[in-house]
Amino acid sequence: MSAETSSGSSPAFAGLTPKINEWLSLIGGFGVLFGEIVRRTLRRDFDRAEFLRNLYRMGIKSMPIVTVTALFTGGIMVIQAAPIVQRYGAYGLLGWGAGFGTLREIAPLLTALMINGRVGANNTAELGTMAVTEQIDALRALAIDPVGFLVAPRFLAIVLTLFLSTIFSDALALLGAAYAGYGFLGVEPAVFYRGLTTGLLDFGDVAHGLEKSLVFGVVIGLSSCHYGLSTKGGAPGVGRSVNATVVASAAGIFVLDYLLSFALS
Amino acid sequence: MIRLHGVCKSFDRAVLSDVDLVVPESCLFGLIGPGASGKSLILRMITGLLRPDQGAVTVGERDVLAMGDMQLHEYRKGIGMLFQNNALFDFMTVAENIAFPLRRLFDLPEAEIERRVAERLARVDLPGFEGRLPAGLSGGQKKRVGVARATVTRAPIVLYDEPAAGLDPVTSQKIFDLLRAEQRAANSTVIMVSSDLDRLLTVTDRVGMMLDGRLIFEGTTEQAKNASDPRVYQFVHGKVDGPL
Amino acid sequence: MSAPPDPRAAALQRARSPLLGALGRLALDFLETTRDLYRVFVLTLHYSLRGEANRPAFIRQMYEIGNRSLVFLSIVMGFIGMILVYQGGLQTQRVVPDLSLLGATFLQLLVRDLAASICALMLATRVGAGIAAEIGSMVVTEQVDALRMCATDPIDYLIRPRFLACLSMFGALVVIAAGVAFLAGMWTAHAFFGINPRTFANVSMVSIGDLAIGLTKCLAYGAAIPVISGYCGLTAFGGSEGVGAATTRAVVNSSLAVIMLNFVISGAGYLIFG
Repeated sequence: MSAETSSGSSPAFAGLTPKINEWLSLIGGFGVLFGEIVRRTLRRDFDRAEFLRNLYRMGIKSMPIVTVTALFTGGIMVIQAAPIVQRYGAYGLLGWGAGFGTLREIAPLLTALMINGRVGANNTAELGTMAVTEQIDALRALAIDPVGFLVAPRFLAIVLTLFLSTIFSDALALLGAAYAGYGFLGVEPAVFYRGLTTGLLDFGDVAHGLEKSLVFGVVIGLSSCHYGLSTKGGAPGVGRSVNATVVASAAGIFVLDYLLSFALS
Repeated sequence: MIRLHGVCKSFDRAVLSDVDLVVPESCLFGLIGPGASGKSLILRMITGLLRPDQGAVTVGERDVLAMGDMQLHEYRKGIGMLFQNNALFDFMTVAENIAFPLRRLFDLPEAEIERRVAERLARVDLPGFEGRLPAGLSGGQKKRVGVARATVTRAPIVLYDEPAAGLDPVTSQKIFDLLRAEQRAANSTVIMVSSDLDRLLTVTDRVGMMLDGRLIFEGTTEQAKNASDPRVYQFVHGKVDGPL
Repeated sequence: MSAPPDPRAAALQRARSPLLGALGRLALDFLETTRDLYRVFVLTLHYSLRGEANRPAFIRQMYEIGNRSLVFLSIVMGFIGMILVYQGGLQTQRVVPDLSLLGATFLQLLVRDLAASICALMLATRVGAGIAAEIGSMVVTEQVDALRMCATDPIDYLIRPRFLACLSMFGALVVIAAGVAFLAGMWTAHAFFGINPRTFANVSMVSIGDLAIGLTKCLAYGAAIPVISGYCGLTAFGGSEGVGAATTRAVVNSSLAVIMLNFVISGAGYLIFG
């Protein structure tokens, strides 16, 4: 049932070479798809109606989960920082402490993971269903370019959705943190807010997070479209593709997060 | 004897309306009708997998709707079912698939189970297929394994949902003949849903036709072929002109 | 259900906000789902304690969940370790020049929260999607109905082995993952801030309370993910679209559950242990 993605059901580290080949060909596939999407985007050769429709749907679908995640994450950040803050009595610094981690790291990362699960998986499921019911082939037979018509709009919608969601999530996480700070540590929201803006944090930190979210959006978009289009094998195949895309995107997000943390700081 | 009385079911819209159906003992009953007319739903009501909104489903003296989980367990020992898409367990071998109802419903010794599996496979003309996986079988072979699994418990009631769907004409006829021979040998009550009218009517004793969730005809095979209702006549003879 | 006879009541009905209606429906759906989920969870526990053993399925699931997640988790946790130590070091350097406690605080964070939670989020995607996809495609190909016809409860046959396997494997995975993250962090601290590995490997800040909280999270996440994903798989309907939808739901709901459980357990832990 799940032995199809690797060339064998071998335990963790044996068979590493076929796995590396697999990853390289995957990245190559992504690269090719990315090139095709970029080409069509620059020529404005993508279906605008499909783009707007997907943007709307993805935004609506991800709103609840981004909201809940952001609020709770802000709260968790405060709870984690609480013992340290209490020990050093650094209540005024709570805003800065929570804000720093949230804006630069946690909010972009968690939002990307959530959007990966919600929007990326859904996108792969839709494209995958189209692939196994031969709708993509039908498009080609009608001389409609599937990449321009289906893939590029969805890809752009995913990138934009993640970007906007990260902004939204930044704000909500800080809100959640402020309330948690008040609830658990008795830190007044005003003090929290002042801690945020004392000058140790600046717009550069926000930008750092947002730049990351753009890159994460590209990863999620590429992965979900690629796995969706290459789905085979009926209903079980769609399930496998969704599984594969969330795993591949998550790994890609973490790897890129690390690389970007260096490159952008 | 299987009896449905006044059965109604709606999802967003009514899918079964006031169905009254009687299947006598030891009868091979064919259930026909256009797509989405509710045929598969009738089968699921009989197995207890689906409950009607209104109406009664009785088998022999027992009321299916009044059964709790333990009673359903007992009841299902007496039913064999072939699903529309075979529903073979894709993580088990052919032998394990066929043996599964025996293992779960009865307490038989291993030797007996193996013997019955081999006997079933020989009967459906797939000797030696015990160790194969469903993924490696052709459509016809999967169907035959499905038939083997449905009949291995020698249940007094057997339900077949599209037993020959997607098969070539020769294999289809072989399957229908096989099912007829099984029914005669075991003297079981069989309900068969199929769209392959010509072949189905060569093996049925009685026929019922569904249209838009209603049972519009019930009678012997001969009566179906010479039906006075123009819709039934048109459908049975596959004519293009007519009320359908 | 049909139009009320009183014209004033009719006017009131018309004025009722569609938003409230939608929210109300959402709340009712949520309650119904919670109730069903609770039922599945209780049944899973029941079968775990009372049902007949199904060792081959259990072993297979342990392999699926445990061994096959190892590489993925190691990579992720390795990178997390590096990112966190790097960012943490930068952050602390802005305020305080002394980085000697970096390893200690990092380890405490790992034990108390991060190892379990990040592993859970990753497993929610990897294992949750897998479980929902497998069970979901069995539902839409009628295999689950065939199970029911053979007097087999799908919760017993399908969800229970995955539940037990996830519970047992999760703890082991978290420990290994924490180890990988810690080693990666140690390397980063040495490479970028010149911190001596021995200074970094400082367990002084990890308390019993931290261990307790971390363990509770392991148990909670290990139980929640398979039950939620299995439930989403069982409620799939509608062919390949249905499988895709069920898989998506499983990932989303498992991840959400992890985050909410994290908040609750962390909060409780803070209030109890401080």
